[in-house]
Amino acid sequence: MRISELQEKTGLKAINEYRDREVEGVYISDMVSDIITSAKRNSILITLQTHKSLIAAANLVAAAMIVIVKGRKPSDDVVELATRTGIGLFTSDLDTWTFAKRLTQLGLE
Amino acid sequence: MNSCRHEWFMCNLRHGFLVVEGCWECGARLSFFSAEPVPPIDEYREGRHFWFYMGSFQSVKFDLECRACGMIAGLDDVNGLMLSDCNDPNCQVGALVNQQSSGSLVYVALCADSTHPMGRCVSSGGIEALNQYFNRNLEGLGRKVVVVPCVLCNSIDKCRGTVIVDVGLTEIE
Repeated sequence: MRISELQEKTGLKAINEYRDREVEGVYISDMVSDIITSAKRNSILITLQTHKSLIAAANLVAAAMIVIVKGRKPSDDVVELATRTGIGLFTSDLDTWTFAKRLTQLGLE
Repeated sequence: MNSCRHEWFMCNLRHGFLVVEGCWECGARLSFFSAEPVPPIDEYREGRHFWFYMGSFQSVKFDLECRACGMIAGLDDVNGLMLSDCNDPNCQVGALVNQQSSGSLVYVALCADSTHPMGRCVSSGGIEALNQYFNRNLEGLGRKVVVVPCVLCNSIDKCRGTVIVDVGLTEIE
């Protein structure tokens, strides 16, 4: 499934210009030390975090997109960095569990 | 000479704290990795330095091992990675940042002693392995990362960048 299709099916709000690409898995974490060691290439990263370190780590593992849950919003410099890397940055008003359930209903794991 | 086209994966994961200390006397900074449950905060004298605790951040250390040949690239001398925001053309890191094409980013591998009194920094083998490992993830995406040792910074203490450490955990509601 491509990012744009996922956005449409889950009602995610895009907050940057991203490079549309296939997503291949899901990883949930609020710790960059965990993300950098465990998240996989082309994954959807679900998190509560909004800081720049998150993008720096997501770039190293080549995550496809980041979904920030519970309506939290990153600052402009975080959005700008995500745009530079092509990583899609999205927000959802849902909590982590509810959003993750949506993904499993769409066949993503 | 090893001709293997290494397929690195992370091994020897250690979770702990990146502890940063400063010297009251000369302003130097020191960092080390502590696997203790609570990071040490004691002040102490060491030669001409008098170190004091500046802060600590939850972090992780790892080595890289090659699936193909079994070689291990030890990264004990890497205390952290910093995404560089430097754009100073007179700094080697800043010059590299300015040379990158859109989407490609420069990361600085941080060693223990920012003043490099003995001229030592992260090993060239470690830097090469980190570049190979992270760029393997990015193949086909039209961008790359460049990992460089912190000795290339004019002043790592004044360098602009984002260190990859766990921050903001206490702000999560």
